[in-house]
Amino acid sequence: MVYSGKKASESNEAPVEPRIGVFICHCGTNIAGSLDVIAVKEYALTLPHVVVSENYAYMCSTPGQNMIHDAIEKDHLTGIVVAACTPRLHEPTFRTATANGGLNPFRFEMANIRDQGSWVHMHDWDGGTEKAKDAVRIAVAKATMLEDLYPMAVPVEHRAMVIGAGVAGIQTSMDLAKAGIETYLIEKEPTIGGRMSQLDKTFPTLDCSQCILSPKMAEAGRMPGIKLYTLAEVEAVEGYIGAFDVTIRRHARGVLTPDEAAARGIVGGGCTGCGDCSQVCPVVRPNSWEFGMAPRKAIYIQHAQVVPLIYTIDFDACVKCGLCETACGTKKAIDLNMEDELFTIKVGTVILATGYETFPIEEKSEWGYKLYDNVISSLEFERLICASGPTIGHLIRPSDGETPKSVGFVLCAGSRDNTGIGKPYCSRFCCMYSLKHAHQVIEKIPGCRAYIFYMDIRSFGKAYEEFYYRIQEEGAKFIRGRVAQIQELPNKNLLVVAEDTLLGMPVEIEVDLVVLAAAVQPTAETEVVRRLFGVSCSADKWLLEAHPKLDPCGTTTAGVYLAGVCQGPKDIPDTVAQAEGAASAASIPIHSGQVELEPYYAQCVEKLCAGCGMCVGQCPYSALSMIVADDGRTVMTVTAAKCKGCGTCGGFCPGGAIRMQHFTSPQILAQIDAFFLGGEQ
Amino acid sequence: MSGNNHQFAFFLGCIAPNRYPGIESAAIRTGKKLDIDLVPLKGASCCPAPGAFGSIDLNVWYAMAARNLVLAEQMGMDIALICNGCYKSIWEVNHKLKHNAELRDAVNEVLKEVDMEYKGTINVYHLAELYYNDEICGLAKLKDSVNTPLTGVKVACHYGCHLLKPRKDREFAGDVIGDTEHPTWFEELVDALGADAVEYRNKMECCGAGGGVRGYDIAHALDITNEKLINMTDAGAEAIVDTCPFCQLQFDRGQYEIQEKFGVEWNLPVLHFCEMLGLAQGMSPVELGLDLHQISCKPFLDKINGGQ
Repeated sequence: MVYSGKKASESNEAPVEPRIGVFICHCGTNIAGSLDVIAVKEYALTLPHVVVSENYAYMCSTPGQNMIHDAIEKDHLTGIVVAACTPRLHEPTFRTATANGGLNPFRFEMANIRDQGSWVHMHDWDGGTEKAKDAVRIAVAKATMLEDLYPMAVPVEHRAMVIGAGVAGIQTSMDLAKAGIETYLIEKEPTIGGRMSQLDKTFPTLDCSQCILSPKMAEAGRMPGIKLYTLAEVEAVEGYIGAFDVTIRRHARGVLTPDEAAARGIVGGGCTGCGDCSQVCPVVRPNSWEFGMAPRKAIYIQHAQVVPLIYTIDFDACVKCGLCETACGTKKAIDLNMEDELFTIKVGTVILATGYETFPIEEKSEWGYKLYDNVISSLEFERLICASGPTIGHLIRPSDGETPKSVGFVLCAGSRDNTGIGKPYCSRFCCMYSLKHAHQVIEKIPGCRAYIFYMDIRSFGKAYEEFYYRIQEEGAKFIRGRVAQIQELPNKNLLVVAEDTLLGMPVEIEVDLVVLAAAVQPTAETEVVRRLFGVSCSADKWLLEAHPKLDPCGTTTAGVYLAGVCQGPKDIPDTVAQAEGAASAASIPIHSGQVELEPYYAQCVEKLCAGCGMCVGQCPYSALSMIVADDGRTVMTVTAAKCKGCGTCGGFCPGGAIRMQHFTSPQILAQIDAFFLGGEQ
Repeated sequence: MSGNNHQFAFFLGCIAPNRYPGIESAAIRTGKKLDIDLVPLKGASCCPAPGAFGSIDLNVWYAMAARNLVLAEQMGMDIALICNGCYKSIWEVNHKLKHNAELRDAVNEVLKEVDMEYKGTINVYHLAELYYNDEICGLAKLKDSVNTPLTGVKVACHYGCHLLKPRKDREFAGDVIGDTEHPTWFEELVDALGADAVEYRNKMECCGAGGGVRGYDIAHALDITNEKLINMTDAGAEAIVDTCPFCQLQFDRGQYEIQEKFGVEWNLPVLHFCEMLGLAQGMSPVELGLDLHQISCKPFLDKINGGQ
């Protein structure tokens, strides 16, 4: 571990009289429009140790920051208080300004008088002003007690890991590998490709989805810089940015790759993807990749373009008859007794790209999904219209195999739904793919009518609006209103009951087939992976980016980044753009070789520690352990790089032996005293 | 399967005692055979009607419903009722007051004037729910109580709206009773009486009356009723069975109004489930006040008597 600077406990210079500078920000009218900033500035001057108090329109601007370092030089300040927005937004800005003035950056303290002040007390001028004074007084009390702290630098492993190998994960991995970073790509399915490989065409260009993705899949499978693990899942995570120890479980595939065969001494062996095994396999199962609409054997590949082209045994279905072993012959690729293997990889940064699944639309039972044969989901439609799908691209209706002459597309099937059953958010890409679906049925089936039941058409992307017009001109019928109900008629046709809000009347339209544009939600596995890496999520379970606008690929966990739909619904272009962004963000710490960690870690005061060990179990980050000290006593020690400074141990220690830097007991007590006892200390 | 007597405070509502007293008597008398003891809820007011009151002033609706709830709390009994409209008011207000402290305090402020306090100590059930619930009654026990099965007659079940919707505010709808869009529990109850419940189109459609529609725009209400009658008869129904006296009023009196206004004649008998259960347990049509129905129940009675 690289360690720069000195321990805070070693800086035993003679204490100097604190000299605090206070800077009140107007934030335009954000703050100054709702409370009296001048009164707050004047109040600050009455507080002990405050020698400078200023106010300015925008403290975060260059002139505002200059005020801080000029004052440090001119008035020999020992501490800085800025009363403005939030540390989350501008703490780094003001720390930099403090450091530029020659002070240690951790001598800066922020008072939140905007988000927790003027914004929430917008209509209470006097109350907001009083609260701002309180906040400033508390911050000043802490600023008088602050110490110099020195960030630690930790080295960063020159490797990255990408979890999920859809188009986002593939793009991220390729970018990282091309940047010279060894990248581990982990995919739970037997093949990479994700959702995009299940699609037929892409909007608005109508490129074949597989045509543009397959080359990428093949390239990712070939790239020496990408270590690909399919049929694998994350089992456990240890460590922190720069040194994540990720344990991977590789599920038993039952089939050896050429490399694995070579390792076992089988010359020229291993799976070549010839398919002889599948030919003789007696067990037939539905292919989940085709949503059960096509059969597969117990030894199978999901589709013709899989990467890696290695067969997989479904051990739940396999009867171990051994016919495949015989068929495989001298390649000896099949091992019916294969077991899961666990191994641990150390990586510097991690990108989560775990994608999405569709919301179970049968929960909106008024639409009759899984109840009526001819109500299908949009992903099922993609397979049915796809030339490589179960019906070789002939769209049929499930009940009788007839070609539909009218198709109803139900948009917002579970999206924008505030009933508590569906999802409140917009799933973003369903409008566009439903337009594409309408185009496909009109194009493929002469005379087929397409009805699109929509709430709004959100054609937000480049050339999307033009595509929308094109579909209108092709003759799709648009009915603006949410579908209330779908009824099955005796002939298995469906009656779609909706409101046409433009006509202001209810409509009932009989169609042969209904396609529900289902809402999307994060995959079930996303929740598991999220918890392992300690990444937050929003109320609707999408993974939470560090900042929605300024840090859309990062997370609040250092070293963990996001790409693709797991962060929120987005179409392919946005997914790929975010994947490239995440690759770039994840490569920065790796290329710089080291990262600075905030020096908020806990410290054990050994002479007070009784060695009870209670704190070790309390730590959520496994940062604490027990050691034998020089005097032979058992004491706790902190692995600083793992410590996030949460304070759980410090609050818990029965002996008060744990010192939380930057949040020491004297500092916190001074804040409490300042609040309750006013300015006098 | 007996001896376990379940006592409930019986909330009558308005329509049943005033227009279809047979429902009231049937509920009480059939309950005795099912160990469901319905104790009169003395001093109860109107529930109050969710459409009429709720559309005009929700606070009045909360307060009046809460007062009825307090009466049952004072008796120390859960409420049983026989009307979907009452169910919406009494059950939903109970549910809301239990989960919303602010609302509860506001309502108690009003109840103070009559020296009452809502505490949230009881539950509210529709009788149909209790018949279906194995812990209270259950299909087997219901079947055992039948001595004159209603064989050979096809009936259309009308669930009504307020019992199952809105789904997010109906706790039982999701688990015990099942799907709100394609439920089957009512058909199962009817089948237990020996009758033959038919599936018909748009089963979950409104009777046309609720939510104040009957009071506001009778022609529109009857239009919806007429559509239901078309769908029911298309499926071969010879009678309608409902769980709600207000729906019953709309179907029963509504058929007469449809004839008056549009000249369409249906003559489809309309019975509350309690009345049908009464018949199945051997009560006479007069005891059940079937002669007080607008649409003659004679064809239905002939059919079941013929079937025996």
